[in-house]
Amino acid sequence: MNIKPAKQYLEQPYWQHLAKGKLFLNSCNDCGSSHHPPSPICPKCRSFNTGWKEASGKATLNSFTVVRHPVHPHLEQDVPYIVTLVDLEEGVRLVSGIPAGMNVDLKVGMPLKCQVIKKDDDFALPYFVPVDANDTASEG
Amino acid sequence: MKTSIVGIGQTEFSTNSGRSELKLALEAILSALDDAGLEVNDIDGLVRYTWDNTSEAAIVNALGLPSLKYYGETEFGGVNCCGAIAQASAAIQAGLASCVVFYRALNARSGVRFGRGERVLTEDGDALISHQPEPPGDIYSAPFGLLVPGQHHALYAQSYKGHYGLSDERFTEMLGSVAVTQRKYANNNPRALMKDRTLTLDDYKQARVISEPLRIFDYCLETDGAMAIVLVSQERARSMSAKAVDVLSASQYIFPGSVPMYLYAKDTYSLAPPEAGEVLFGRAGLKPSDIDVAMVYDATSMMVPLALEDFGFIGRGEAADFLISGQNGLDGSLPVNTHGGLLSEGYFHGLNSIAEGVRQLRGESSNQVDADTVFMTLRGASSMIMGRA
Repeated sequence: MNIKPAKQYLEQPYWQHLAKGKLFLNSCNDCGSSHHPPSPICPKCRSFNTGWKEASGKATLNSFTVVRHPVHPHLEQDVPYIVTLVDLEEGVRLVSGIPAGMNVDLKVGMPLKCQVIKKDDDFALPYFVPVDANDTASEG
Repeated sequence: MKTSIVGIGQTEFSTNSGRSELKLALEAILSALDDAGLEVNDIDGLVRYTWDNTSEAAIVNALGLPSLKYYGETEFGGVNCCGAIAQASAAIQAGLASCVVFYRALNARSGVRFGRGERVLTEDGDALISHQPEPPGDIYSAPFGLLVPGQHHALYAQSYKGHYGLSDERFTEMLGSVAVTQRKYANNNPRALMKDRTLTLDDYKQARVISEPLRIFDYCLETDGAMAIVLVSQERARSMSAKAVDVLSASQYIFPGSVPMYLYAKDTYSLAPPEAGEVLFGRAGLKPSDIDVAMVYDATSMMVPLALEDFGFIGRGEAADFLISGQNGLDGSLPVNTHGGLLSEGYFHGLNSIAEGVRQLRGESSNQVDADTVFMTLRGASSMIMGRA
C-alpha cells in the first residue's frame, strides 16, 4: 500500500518524528495531557503551550476491520488488509493497522505495542501489533 | 418547534439520472411545492448541506425567485439531515423567512461516489496522496487504507461485537434482520431501488464481505436523484390545504471526536451519549416509549442497533434480542425504516427517511403503521421527532 500525506504535512513534527522512527504525541506543557490529531491548543486545559512527547507505545485494541473490498484500483493487490483503532496509554486514539503479511488473531481489548515502519526516506507509519508478536514485520 | 412540513418532493431514485444535479434539485423543489399546494414565488428561504454542489444562488437564478430573505447551510451531509430541519424551523420561528425549502441533489452513483477512494485521494506516480486534515480519507487514516465511511462503520460494528461479546452467528443474525426486514419493506415500496429484488437471511449470510464484519447488504445504495422538503409555521400550515406534519423537536448534538466521522470519540460501541436523547425528547415533551415508528439513518445496517440503544428505545446490549426477534418489522414493537431505508429504498442523504416519516404520519406509507409520532436520527449528531398535525 502506497498512500501518503501530501508533502506539506510531512514537514510537521508528528510526521518528522515518525520518519526518525519514533512516535511522538502532541502534548500540553502545562497539564501534561496528550492529544491526537495534533492541535494548536490543549483540549483539556485550553493552553496554547503545547509540545511533543514520546509515546510509551503501549495501547489496547479498540476495534479493527479486515478490508476485503478494494475501494481504489491501486489497492486491488493489497486486499485483504487490516485497519485498527488503538487506544494509547496516554489517553489518545490513533488510526493504525497491522503490517502486511503479519498473521494475527485480533480481539477487541487486547494489548498492543507500537512498531514504527519506514515507508520511504521521509515517511513512516505507527503500526500497533500484538505484544507477543515477533518483531519481524518488514515494509508493509 | 412550531413548524410543519407541508410538502415533500423528489425525482426517481436511479443509478444514472442522465441529468445535472441542478436540474434534479429544481425538479424536486417544484414537486415538493406542488405537493404543498404552494407557488414557486412563495419560497423565501433555502437550506442545504455544505456538501451539496448546487448553491442557493443557482436555485434563485434558475427559478427567477423575486427574492430570498434567508438561506443557510449546515456542515457536512447526512450528519445534518435533521440539523437542516432545525435550521429551517429556527429561521421561520425567528421571522427570518416564512417558507423554507430544504433540498439535496446528488449524482452519487454516476458522479462522485462516497464509497470510492478516488473521492479523497489524488495520484502521484505509483503513490496515492491524501490532502485533507479531517476524515474520511485524511492524512492520519488514509495511509492505513481507511478511506471511506463504510470502513469506519465496520470499525463501529466490530467494536460493538467485541464489547458485548457477540458470537459471529448472533452478530450476523442481528444485522441480517435489519437488511432482510428493510428489504421486505422496499419490496412493497414502488419508489424503492430494490423494489423487485428479494433478500433472504441465507442470501445475506452468503453475501460478499466488504469490510469485516460488514457484508454488501449492510451498505446503503449509492444513488442519483434529488429530494426537497417544504417547511412553514404551524400556524400557516393550519390554514393550508396541504397534509401537514408537525416538527415536534429537532436537534443537533456533537462532541469531541464525534465529527466528521466518529473515529476519535471515547466509546465506539455507542455513538451518542444519553444527553443527545434527553435534549431531543425533552424539547418535544415525549419519551422513547411514545414513539410509533423510527427512521434511522442507515448508511450501514449497524446504525440501527446503535441508534435504538443510544436513544433508549431498548437497553444497552439488547439490540441483538430486539432485532433477531423481528421487533423492527411491521408487526414488531417499533417498526424501523419502513421505506426500506438507505439500504434498500435509496440514498438521498437522509431526506428520503424524513419523507417516509412524513408519509407515515399522513397515512400514505407503503408499509403503513398506525402512527402519531416518528423519530429520526443520524447517530445522534442530528435528530428529530415529527407528529401528526
